[in-house]
Amino acid sequence: MSYSYKGKTPVVDMRQISKAFPGVQALSDITFDLYEGEIHCLVGENGAGKSTLMKVLSGAYAPDGGEITIDGNTYEALTPKLSQELGVGIIYQENDLIPTMSVAENMFVGLEKVNRFGFLDRRLTEESARLEVEKLGIDLDVRRKIEDLSVAEQQFVKVLKALVLKPRILLMDEPTSMFNVKDVGKVLDLTQRVAKQGISIIYISHFLKEVVQIADRITVIRDGVVVNTYKNATRDIDLNIITTDMVGRSVDMFYIKERHAIGPVVLEVKDLQLTKDSPKVSFEVREGEILGLAGMVGSGRTELVRALTGADRFYGGSIKYKGEHLTLRSPKDSIDQGFAHITEDRQQLGLMLGQSILENMTIVGLGKKIKEFFFKLVGHQKLVAPLVEDLSIRTPSLFQQVQNLSGGNQQKVVLGKWLFAESDFYVFDEPTRGIDVNSKAEFYQLMSALTKEGKSIIMVSSDMPELISLSDRVLVVRKGEITGEIPQEEISEERIIKSALGM
Amino acid sequence: MEEVKKQTRLGRINFRDQRILMVGVILLITIVVSAISPKFIEIRNIVAILQQVTVLGILTMAMGLLLISGGIDLSIGNIMVLSGVVISKVITGGGSVTWALILGLLTGLACGLVNGIIIAKSRCLPLIITLGTSQIFLGASLMLTGGRFMNFKKKFDFIGRTRIFDVFPVMLIFLIVMVAFAFILLNYTRFGRRIVAIGGNEKNAYLSGINIDLHKIIIYSISGIISGIASIVFVARLDSITATAGTGYELRALTAAIIGGITFDGGKGTIGGAFIGVLLLGIINNAMNILSVWPYAQTAISGGIIVVAVILSNLENLRKASR
Repeated sequence: MSYSYKGKTPVVDMRQISKAFPGVQALSDITFDLYEGEIHCLVGENGAGKSTLMKVLSGAYAPDGGEITIDGNTYEALTPKLSQELGVGIIYQENDLIPTMSVAENMFVGLEKVNRFGFLDRRLTEESARLEVEKLGIDLDVRRKIEDLSVAEQQFVKVLKALVLKPRILLMDEPTSMFNVKDVGKVLDLTQRVAKQGISIIYISHFLKEVVQIADRITVIRDGVVVNTYKNATRDIDLNIITTDMVGRSVDMFYIKERHAIGPVVLEVKDLQLTKDSPKVSFEVREGEILGLAGMVGSGRTELVRALTGADRFYGGSIKYKGEHLTLRSPKDSIDQGFAHITEDRQQLGLMLGQSILENMTIVGLGKKIKEFFFKLVGHQKLVAPLVEDLSIRTPSLFQQVQNLSGGNQQKVVLGKWLFAESDFYVFDEPTRGIDVNSKAEFYQLMSALTKEGKSIIMVSSDMPELISLSDRVLVVRKGEITGEIPQEEISEERIIKSALGM
Repeated sequence: MEEVKKQTRLGRINFRDQRILMVGVILLITIVVSAISPKFIEIRNIVAILQQVTVLGILTMAMGLLLISGGIDLSIGNIMVLSGVVISKVITGGGSVTWALILGLLTGLACGLVNGIIIAKSRCLPLIITLGTSQIFLGASLMLTGGRFMNFKKKFDFIGRTRIFDVFPVMLIFLIVMVAFAFILLNYTRFGRRIVAIGGNEKNAYLSGINIDLHKIIIYSISGIISGIASIVFVARLDSITATAGTGYELRALTAAIIGGITFDGGKGTIGGAFIGVLLLGIINNAMNILSVWPYAQTAISGGIIVVAVILSNLENLRKASR
């Protein structure tokens, strides 16, 4: 043990942690430790394994191998309950506060303060809340309702709520991803105040500039492996070292795409503005091209493509497809023009889970491919069967409910419904998220084949190898704005990461 | 292609589980009751059962279609009465039967259209909206009738009384036609597929290019018309109507649909199942009459049987959840 923070032994010591999911090794032999009062930042790309590691610590996942030592006691796996008893507190990215309740009430949800008759004691609740607020030395009226607070103040309340449980270890997952610059400072300041109380903090963020300001140590993980852990006592580590660690993969992770000639411009987006205050976005897509949209989660890529397909209304700007101006009031308008939209969340948005493959695959093409007024669903089997074969969807029957299929097969059904409708312009949002390696490769082949036929693709992806292997051109989006355009021959992880992080 | 055919059958068997269970319950009741009282399985009694459930059966088709589309309409009972009141007004005012029927159906359509437009455009919960509009329709009936009992003086009872070959009541044709209509609409048309899609996952349906608002408006309008058709049978049987006569029908229709395997979640269920639910309710009532069960106990017993039937039909889900 070469590192010792202020001469103490570690509070948390995770050794050789491994965790595999079907088709992907999420963590391999990760070693990670944390000292009392230390802020240890965890950085890495989307999907590098940060969240999985934290879920192992919070007890949500049991690791396949390795051990976790907390305060000298060693465990093979934790449960959420055990983790909490050991003093692990978590602040999630999502807002879990109740907007109509006050700060004090929110802090004590589930641990309500009552008087001796068993009734809620408002005064005691507020006093206890105020005590916590004072300990942190921040300025916040505990009687205010959550809905009246700024986003940063709400983040304070989330921290306060976690502190009520008297944690000794606090996990903070992207606490600043929603904020503007001024508020980010407040949250960083708060984090440091919490650490001063002797609470150890694991801080996950992809805003490297923030990380450098507060981290005692920084650990970079990539593809489930710890690349390096850096000391940052003087808060001046070189960001370039970290980004270099975040990228740099071995060649075998990349798919080799067959390149072919790219045609004329088919889609012209000009000064597209999602809301009144959002930046104007302009770009073009060519025939037979895969245009990759890179950026961090929450950078506004999904919102951008949702506007393109008519899923959401937008404020201003124009979209021209094959020389004609598009008016998009609903997805129907874009679908009529031949657009396909493979959504980010197939279960919530892309499928009718309780219904059959047959019903799911025919739903978009109903009007276009199936023109009879009266028909028999069974009769559509012969229309769909060849497609199911082409997509190699593995199923015993076309009447199989989609919820019983694997993620990869489900995603193929989603693509299948657009192929059935004979779409020309495909928008993929995270096309291979959560599907196994083999299905991924098959999916890439399908996408590649589509462009070869002269169809165009916009692909939002957080999967670096995917973006690099498939894209003919990459646009980097940051805070709703296109901050970089990278031609095919210059696409590299480093270029993308730097552009996405605003460096 | 050979293989595909085989797969079809497999898929179908799996799909029918719940309905088979309900048919089992019906058969069980039939066997037990007929053993005690053979009158139960006489043709005359079977026809009587069907007659008793005609109105409920027609309304259940409306409710079933709505539930499958992810909606619900609690105003169908009161739409039926309002249509009936309009028919009575035309008849008692000296109008022709044809005009009475046309205006009655238009009333149903108008009520359903109002429901549909409000629900589609306001995006409010259909449960609450139709609870409200139900009161409006009831209120309209009360105002039109002045709370009085409206008698048709046998001008309109040919539908209720006429029998083909002395056995088969004409009103059953209404039931058969409506069940067939709902069945064909749901299974053999694009509209049907699309409302199932909306019920299965509305967001997905929207992103798949389905005009959600339009489909909702149409489906509620259809529900209104079906309620209007139910009212023709309703007034023809009773030869009279009062404003409160339809209260409770919507809940019985809901019960029948749910027993038959249609769920509140939408996207699931069949018209055949809903019809089996209707039959089950009818058979339970009739059996208790045949067996001369103490009338005051009948309500509680039929309630109990419904609860048991629903629990039985949910067993598979329970098993899934515990896994």
